[in-house]
Amino acid sequence: MTDLFLGLTQEIISGIALGSIYALIALGFTMIFKATEVVNFAQGELMMVGAYVNFFFVTTFLSAAGTPTAWTFLVALGGSMIFSVLFGYILDFIINRPLKDEPIFSVIMATLSLAIIIRAVVAIIAGPISLMPFSPFGDSAISFGTIIVSVLDLSIIGSAIGLVIIFYYIFHYTRWGIAMQATSEDPIAAQLMGIPIKRVYALVWIFSAVVATLSGILLAPRIALLDTTMGFLGLKAFPAAVLGGFGSIPGAIVGGVILGVIETVSMGTLSFHFQWIKEINDIIAWIVLIAVLMIKPDGLFGVEKVKKV
Amino acid sequence: MLKVVGVETYYGKVKALHGVSLEVKEGQLVTILGANGAGKTTILKTISGLVEPENGTIHFNDIRIDRKDPEDIVAMGISHVPEWRRIFPELTVYENLLMGGFLIKEKDLLRDRMEEAYRHFPVLRQRQKQRAGTLSGGEQQMLAISRALMLKPQLLLLDEPSLGLSPLLVQDIFATIKELHRSGVTILLVEQNVNHALKIADYGYVLTTGKIFLSGTYEDLLDEEKVREQYLGEGKYTRRADLWGG
Repeated sequence: MTDLFLGLTQEIISGIALGSIYALIALGFTMIFKATEVVNFAQGELMMVGAYVNFFFVTTFLSAAGTPTAWTFLVALGGSMIFSVLFGYILDFIINRPLKDEPIFSVIMATLSLAIIIRAVVAIIAGPISLMPFSPFGDSAISFGTIIVSVLDLSIIGSAIGLVIIFYYIFHYTRWGIAMQATSEDPIAAQLMGIPIKRVYALVWIFSAVVATLSGILLAPRIALLDTTMGFLGLKAFPAAVLGGFGSIPGAIVGGVILGVIETVSMGTLSFHFQWIKEINDIIAWIVLIAVLMIKPDGLFGVEKVKKV
Repeated sequence: MLKVVGVETYYGKVKALHGVSLEVKEGQLVTILGANGAGKTTILKTISGLVEPENGTIHFNDIRIDRKDPEDIVAMGISHVPEWRRIFPELTVYENLLMGGFLIKEKDLLRDRMEEAYRHFPVLRQRQKQRAGTLSGGEQQMLAISRALMLKPQLLLLDEPSLGLSPLLVQDIFATIKELHRSGVTILLVEQNVNHALKIADYGYVLTTGKIFLSGTYEDLLDEEKVREQYLGEGKYTRRADLWGG
């Protein structure tokens, strides 16, 4: 009995770490959707590019400096952040501006194409092989009694909480953050206030790219593998967002965490005890997605969207 | 102050304005009357830059503004309270006012303007932490007007402020508009509520299907049988007292 309990606790903590990453992906995805009504299927690819760029910076600094230090990773992180700001700005220019008021179908086709193009370009530049990303924390772990948690997982959870607090602060307490909310509620009224909505949209894409890059940097060492298929994990932003309530930012975060927990726990229980249920974690998200759509389409934090005339 | 000359505006292929010309002089309260779909809202949207006119010119203080972005036009001193108020329902009353003052960089000035808005409408101070969507229709209209006044505009565009309000609140809103006008704000008011609008206006334009049909002072328009027949669809047997009376 206690074994089961311990095992479950272990799974849940690990699930929260994985879910934190899903939450960040879903956060970036939802921000773009709320502000610009663009459904960005390339959100996972933004994450993948972020992981690659960070890997590039880490290896470059390592070959220059020799042994890895905390500075190596911090400087690489800084470089990746600068890259993601530029990347988000460029995407706003090439995707958001021309497509913003197009029918939703065109937008979906365009972002799907963007995802494929990004994967191809990364494969061309980095080569088709999988890479082994470095964890800044190695294999170190902390034990709380009999429960062992890796430092990497703790740092993932910590970073996600930190990021959510930062974003909450920006959205609710800064002029530009409130302007972002205002723009996503009513872009026309926002324009009449003198809010430059084009710049707000650019800012939203930049934020989204920054969060995606950070989630990629956190995820890569956790799955200890870096290749171009990493972007597919970004599709988990959908079940996460639907579970929490599509278009709700708190919903995206909570939905992401719950999804991560469901995945690891189902893996640890079902797939562990029943040999014939293999790799349940790969499909459980989609089962959840369909179940939520059937039972409670508005999700946990869902708000009925009232379209303004 | 504002000079609109021969403006033609299209929505896609549909022509909404067929060469509208009008003028607002400093300190005036000018009203545009007209039935639904006559193009009243389009005139205001064209002035504030939300839609671009195909032909014609708009000058504000002798500067041409008809090709400028809305945010530049606001910055020049024209604030627009849109139809149905369009407050930000999920933001608090305070945040709505803050957005009204988005272009104000100095913190002290912003605080002063906010204080002024609260003094003007004490109910907004009581509800400052409340989400604006929870306010009543009348309170939302006060918020929408206060939000537009945060920038101390030289010209205020008001689009049907009485829309969806109870008769009692309509009186309040018009009293507020009159007071604003008296305090020196130049106003261009779009209304369907002929009664109230003409009573407080210095000058009025009557719009039918995208064209200015009539214009004149309160007395001119009051005497004009055509207003009633064409715009109001009333015959000459309708008693005047019912139409224009308080």
